[in-house]
Amino acid sequence: MAKTGETHEARPDPDALLALTDRTARGRLTIFLGAAPGVGKTYAMLTRARRVKADGADIVVGLVETHGRADTAALLDGLEALPRKVLDYQGRALEEFDIDAALVRRPRIVVVDELAHTNAPGSRHPKRHQDIEELLDAGIDVWTALNVQHIESLSDVVAQITGTPVRERVPDKVLGHADEILLVDLSPAELLERLREGKVYVPDNAKRAAESFFRLGNLTALRELALRRTAARVDTQVVDYMRQNAIELPWQSAERLLVCIGPDQLSEKVVRQAARMASGLNAPWLCISIERADQPLTPEAVRRLDQTFKLAAQLGAETRRVTGRDFVEEILAQARREHATQIVIGAGRQGGLSRFRISLTDALISRVPGLGVHVVTDVAAPAARPRLAPPRGWLAKPLRTIGVAVGVVAVASAIGYALDSVIALPNVALLYLVAVLLAAIYGGYASALVAAVLSALAYNFLFIHPVHSLFIAQPHEVVGFVTFVAVAMLAGGMASRLSEHARVASERAAATQALYNFSRKLSAAVKVDDVVWAAVTQLQGVSRRNVVFLLPGDGDIALAAAWPPDTELGVSDMTAARWAWEKREAAGFGTGTLPASAFQFRPLAGPAGVVGVVGLQQDGASPEGGEDEVVLGAILDQTAIAIDRARLSRDMLEQSAKLEGDRFRAALLSSVSHDLKTPLATITGAVTSLRELGDRMKPQTRDDLLQSIEEESERLNRFVANLLDMTRIDAGTVEAKNDWVDAADVVRSTIKRAERYFPGRKVETSIARDLPLIRADSVLLGQALFNLIDNALKYGGGEPVSVYARRDGDAVTLSVTDLGKGIPPKDLERVFEKFFRRGKADGRKPGTGLGLAIAKGFVEAMGGTIRAESPAVRRRGTRFTMRFPVEPVPAP
Amino acid sequence: MSPPRILVVDDEPQIRRFLHPALEAAGYEVIEAGTGADALRLAATRAPELMILDLGLPDMDGKEVIARLRAWSPLPVIVLSARDREAEKIAALDLGADDYVEKPFGIGELTARIRTALRHRPQADDEFAGIEVDGLKIDAVRRRVSRDGRPLRLTPKEYDLLLVLARHAGRVVTHKALLTGVWGPAHAHDLQYLRVFIGQLRAKVERSPTDPAIILTEPGVGYRFQMPSQP
Repeated sequence: MAKTGETHEARPDPDALLALTDRTARGRLTIFLGAAPGVGKTYAMLTRARRVKADGADIVVGLVETHGRADTAALLDGLEALPRKVLDYQGRALEEFDIDAALVRRPRIVVVDELAHTNAPGSRHPKRHQDIEELLDAGIDVWTALNVQHIESLSDVVAQITGTPVRERVPDKVLGHADEILLVDLSPAELLERLREGKVYVPDNAKRAAESFFRLGNLTALRELALRRTAARVDTQVVDYMRQNAIELPWQSAERLLVCIGPDQLSEKVVRQAARMASGLNAPWLCISIERADQPLTPEAVRRLDQTFKLAAQLGAETRRVTGRDFVEEILAQARREHATQIVIGAGRQGGLSRFRISLTDALISRVPGLGVHVVTDVAAPAARPRLAPPRGWLAKPLRTIGVAVGVVAVASAIGYALDSVIALPNVALLYLVAVLLAAIYGGYASALVAAVLSALAYNFLFIHPVHSLFIAQPHEVVGFVTFVAVAMLAGGMASRLSEHARVASERAAATQALYNFSRKLSAAVKVDDVVWAAVTQLQGVSRRNVVFLLPGDGDIALAAAWPPDTELGVSDMTAARWAWEKREAAGFGTGTLPASAFQFRPLAGPAGVVGVVGLQQDGASPEGGEDEVVLGAILDQTAIAIDRARLSRDMLEQSAKLEGDRFRAALLSSVSHDLKTPLATITGAVTSLRELGDRMKPQTRDDLLQSIEEESERLNRFVANLLDMTRIDAGTVEAKNDWVDAADVVRSTIKRAERYFPGRKVETSIARDLPLIRADSVLLGQALFNLIDNALKYGGGEPVSVYARRDGDAVTLSVTDLGKGIPPKDLERVFEKFFRRGKADGRKPGTGLGLAIAKGFVEAMGGTIRAESPAVRRRGTRFTMRFPVEPVPAP
Repeated sequence: MSPPRILVVDDEPQIRRFLHPALEAAGYEVIEAGTGADALRLAATRAPELMILDLGLPDMDGKEVIARLRAWSPLPVIVLSARDREAEKIAALDLGADDYVEKPFGIGELTARIRTALRHRPQADDEFAGIEVDGLKIDAVRRRVSRDGRPLRLTPKEYDLLLVLARHAGRVVTHKALLTGVWGPAHAHDLQYLRVFIGQLRAKVERSPTDPAIILTEPGVGYRFQMPSQP
């Protein structure tokens, strides 16, 4: 556990400094973190490797899987690669990273892909991250790649999101030790696009799994995890920096977590949850178990507890085993000693310690009001209460039943006996009545019955003459005894029923609360998809069955969501679902229609008709109770209404988007019309003026009018040419006739042309020597560059404009920089939109709003990229940069 | 007498570049403004006799310039607009602009409009005595209309309509102005009345009703009564 620093002096934290020196002796670990396979981690890693190699760094490739991708393999070209180690495993030759080769070669940096990899049996370490640890210890820098799903503390979240368990996991501390984490990000849509194009490597036997994994929802969630993880990491780095440099508070985390675990299965989840909380709060955490000296654990429980502790330690917790009697007391004692601010416990239903935890929670909360208590439940979906547990049988807990009864009767007897010896008690039976009532409340009806019988016996034995025998001498005592037994049974029955009612009422309240939570979740869901997902998880939680959700589309209904996500519907299932959809009645299992289906399908009737169909898989084991039916019905009704509402709001959005589009087109038309008509008006006006009034004008006035005619004709010509170019780009008919082009040549001739158009304006040029040839269309490239220069001259505030041609890694860049006011960040992307104009250009020639859009269209048609940055120089100006990849020139 | 001073308001420098010398050659003194605020300031301080106003200005809508100007000045305004949206022009006219010229235009068209606007301010009912154009004579005092000396029979509504047009001879009168002037504000949008009555009126006053020479149509905007002795 990290030190919290008791002293507030501005002195560097020794621990932090120590960690720093330790780190400097070790190699530096750089992790390329991605959300999913295929985002381009290996590519990014190798691209960077080539760059540092070009700068003269001693970098070798330890192991990289190209998965047969040509572009990745091409990057390996020219990089030194270590030989792989071949291991023989059950007759198969497995290739592995050769750590010894790396240690002998001792490069400054070694690239080892796939941090989460599990080594083949017979390797030195079972896991690759251990190999890497050894390399780092030897002072070698390591670059490696990792997908967020493999991070230990996130693995159960990932499994929940994707519905696929994660086998290969990397402890969080490996990430914690990394000196640099680079996030390789790609939007889910692009990733899916790459997957479709076959650019993502998927082993043949995993094709099906991949289909359920690579979904937009999954990828978005994974991406969020990756982004958050990286953000948290940056935060930690800031804190480290502050500590190393003795920057005063507040850097220290105010929060400390105390996590209580036991030998139950839930504890693993508690630990993971706590690890996430701790990392989110940036708080140290202590994990404890409390064992009772008088109740030794079974070997199985000990093993499980050990495992959980190991996991906690891996995730960064300090661990401690505590022996004690009173759980609450021990937990509180630990919390006080450790200054914990939050307590995390599990509340489960089965086995071990967890049985007591509901009341434990209450006890904790009531004892220490200032403490945060987090209860982790073992239900997959947190809002999945109420659950449809089997009805509480009478004899569900026979031990407890009898124990309570014996206990209360013993206490009543003791009190009665003690009092009787002091003062003569005429109505000892009343004491027993109290005992029976207590048994009824705490032990239920069965307990009350047992208590009644025991009370009768004890009463008879201890107090009815002759005492110490079960014989009853007096007839009136017989009547009294029988009456007592009857009253005890009646009262016990009533009391137990009352407490049962209370229990049912509280369960109802919980059910109502769950429904309320669900409806709140629904009201927050804007999209149909969100509603469907909320409903599926809720239904699954309530019914504990597989759930499918079908929505209409294209005249049929189709699977929209399911839990578990890879659930599939057979032909008979689909037939039943369609029946439910068309006939608006339940179909499938347990109904009169198509009962062979494994699912029971119900139509979702909204205000405007049936909006979808929900199917619940029936396993036959749990027949539905009336209570469940009510809850299910309520959920289905709410879902139907929510879907209806989501549809309406979607339709409204589409409407307003259409309106917005119409408005945009109108503005566009008016803008084009203005741009065409202004030069025309000038020309017409000038020509008619010359014809009708020319003889009354001075010669230089006439000249000026003629010149304006010429200029405006030229402007009109350019505008029309731009419009035509734009139309070609929009129609996708721009064909770049790419050939080998000398960029320097194009730059020089374009600048000459620009200087003709803007006489007196200076364009500074700097062209790197030995620029390689690029693949481009010289006409399109010239026009794109001209448009950029034209734009820079118009918006550059009269300052000089500079054009650079440079080599940047494996690309040639052509950039145009002006020193004008610059472009605010929000408009940077928009400048490439058609007809986007930022205010008035200076001088007399406003732009058409097409130049940059055309430049972008042309550059992209040639296979290059273009981007804008602002400010470019000393908080001023804008730079447009075109990039063209350098390809090997074939030998002549 | 000093030449009439014209205020040209347009944000496009190239339009002012040809208007300035052309209007000067046509015998006017020209002052320029590039924004609505400048236009209002110059209208107040330099006492121009006419304003030529582009509707698309950077700082305020041309219509707003008219509305503000009309609060204190009857200065004739001719609207220039590159926009071919009728609604814009009609709104400007209804706000008090005197006429409009659509870009692109010939200088002759503009100077003719300027002359009309400068010569005749719209006259109130009691001042308007009558007009004679192309053989059509309107005697507003005696409420008589004749064509080449022969009296014409007009219904009261036809006469009212003709009178509104004639009083604004040479200028465009919007549909709305005609409808409210003749039928009252409640009928400001009953364009069908106007179409029918204009048709009847033309049949009586025009030499060739299919090729009107006196009551001219301004498509989408209104009608214009032909100016007498228009070149």
